[in-house]
Amino acid sequence: MAGAELKNLRKTYGGTEVLKGIDLKIEARQFTVLLGPSGCGKSTTLRLIAGLEKATAGEIWIGDRNVSDLEPRERDIAMVFQNYALYPNMTVARNIGFGLKARKMPQAEIDARVAEAARLLGITQLLGRKPKQLSGGQQQRVAIGRAIVRKPNLFLFDEPLSNLDTKLRIDMRTELLRLHRELDATTVYVTHDQEEAMTMADRIIVMDDGRIAQIGPPAEIYHKPRNLMVAGFIGSPSMNLFQGTVTPAGLETPLGTVRLATPLEVGTAATFGVRPDDLYLPDSLDDAQIASAIDVTVEIVELLGARGIVTMRANGQPLKGVFEERFLSRFREGVSLTLALAQDRLHLFDAESGLRLN
Amino acid sequence: MRQLQRAAVEIVVAIAIVIVLFPFVWVLVTSLKPPHLVAEPDVWRFAPSFANWQDVLVRSAVPSNIVNSLIVSLSTVAVALSVGCPAAYAFSRFRSGVATRFSILAAEMMPPAILILPLFLIFYRLGLIDSKIGVVIAHLTFVVPVVTWFLIGFFDEVPRELEEQAMIDGYTQFQAFYKVVLPTIRPGIAAAGIFGFVLSWNDLFYALILTGGDSRTLPVAIAGFWTFRGVDMGKMAVAILVAVVPILIVSFFIQKHLIRGLGGGAVKY
Repeated sequence: MAGAELKNLRKTYGGTEVLKGIDLKIEARQFTVLLGPSGCGKSTTLRLIAGLEKATAGEIWIGDRNVSDLEPRERDIAMVFQNYALYPNMTVARNIGFGLKARKMPQAEIDARVAEAARLLGITQLLGRKPKQLSGGQQQRVAIGRAIVRKPNLFLFDEPLSNLDTKLRIDMRTELLRLHRELDATTVYVTHDQEEAMTMADRIIVMDDGRIAQIGPPAEIYHKPRNLMVAGFIGSPSMNLFQGTVTPAGLETPLGTVRLATPLEVGTAATFGVRPDDLYLPDSLDDAQIASAIDVTVEIVELLGARGIVTMRANGQPLKGVFEERFLSRFREGVSLTLALAQDRLHLFDAESGLRLN
Repeated sequence: MRQLQRAAVEIVVAIAIVIVLFPFVWVLVTSLKPPHLVAEPDVWRFAPSFANWQDVLVRSAVPSNIVNSLIVSLSTVAVALSVGCPAAYAFSRFRSGVATRFSILAAEMMPPAILILPLFLIFYRLGLIDSKIGVVIAHLTFVVPVVTWFLIGFFDEVPRELEEQAMIDGYTQFQAFYKVVLPTIRPGIAAAGIFGFVLSWNDLFYALILTGGDSRTLPVAIAGFWTFRGVDMGKMAVAILVAVVPILIVSFFIQKHLIRGLGGGAVKY
């Protein structure tokens, strides 16, 4: 298993620059997720790694080989597409073995490898069927089988779960992770689904407008977003953001004055953010931890099961919070109450550049 | 009200069926008439005779004309498909624009009378007059564009990811085309082939001018029953049925693909 490296990778389509210089090291054996809104360039990056598109500038290295000018078949990669791209006129067994045939492997070995991949994915009984006789989940497994049977240097996944229903998606997520561990594979996985990224990745690469916005493990991306784009994109419901100005007393915001742990120059315009999960009832925090107390009026409560999303208004500003079910009895619609912000859970961004300040 | 509407539709369909089928029935009846009744179209009650069938199928040149037609049509289709498939693939995969796609049909819009004179002169020089090769080349001028147009729509429906997957799996783009894409659109190729076959099989104009003796095709033979002594309607009817019925039967089975292919190149735009 090899890692990969992208060096100043650029891609232009008819005058529009969709990748604006990507520098990235993909560690061997890691599960790396490319995450971002649609049009951010994540799929293009994956297609460039696969060799399905040629980069306008820059280099792609897989292991110790510069593969920038190599055809896809010479790169020793496997890819799973969003629509699975199963060959409709071939049986499952032939679909899985098709890549091995291209490499002139003896039929007996192809059969053995196909059988092994099918066993690993639990699709042995489907080997004689055609793709159109399979459910979405089964097709997905066949597509994965076709990828793993080749034992490539690099696995590429382009939103492979987005055509599945929610339950199956969650099951397949676990399955993919199990496979990743079992095969000890280097995986690059593209998704726009942050939940998928958070649960699966060793490392997330957040992309925005053809550039890398942040690289880091999921927890870091969530708790320390490097800029406003990442802060707003990661987390559901998304982070509450307010404009403010630094005063000697703290940050003056529409919610009131927020005590700052990090000293900032007075007069600095800053965007202040708090995640819906980071709003607390005052009795659940020590005084020292409290950065500010805010008075809110409850508007809507949406119960999700063990948790609920509460839409509130604070000083006329909309605000969302997420609370465990046991606290939800206090959030009846129309009720006013006080909430606390925790000092170590505040996010401050430069109002102009959007970069993180604390 | 709804019943009335349905009845109206049924009546219209019934009339359409009668209009379409009547000529065939009439030709069939004529082929079975004894010679002295052939010229009397209003006689419907007679003892059927197979004399015309025997004359045409056993004692005339029609069987060898059928063989000629088969050779010409099959050769035309073979060449048209081997040229039309890659052409249609290229039109489908590389950005071609509506105008370029429609330009394929430009040759179709030209009256054949414009082409026949230069073709005749060229074939005359090359010694291809009264040869099957000459007819095949002439037929290719209108079968290739139609087959290409026909197949574009089928290629459009094959997701690009299929070829990309094949290229990642270890194949070249050309291998991906013939190992993955072509087998995927097999029904379309079959329909295009049959459609091209029908066009070539039915052609009278080019065949009439370019063939004469041994290379005469079936439509030319049919026309040949119209002689200076009059029209030998009974035998002509047999030859017409022999020419048309197999085509009708095959077309019936591939009608779904035919409709899809005929709209093909434009549907996706």
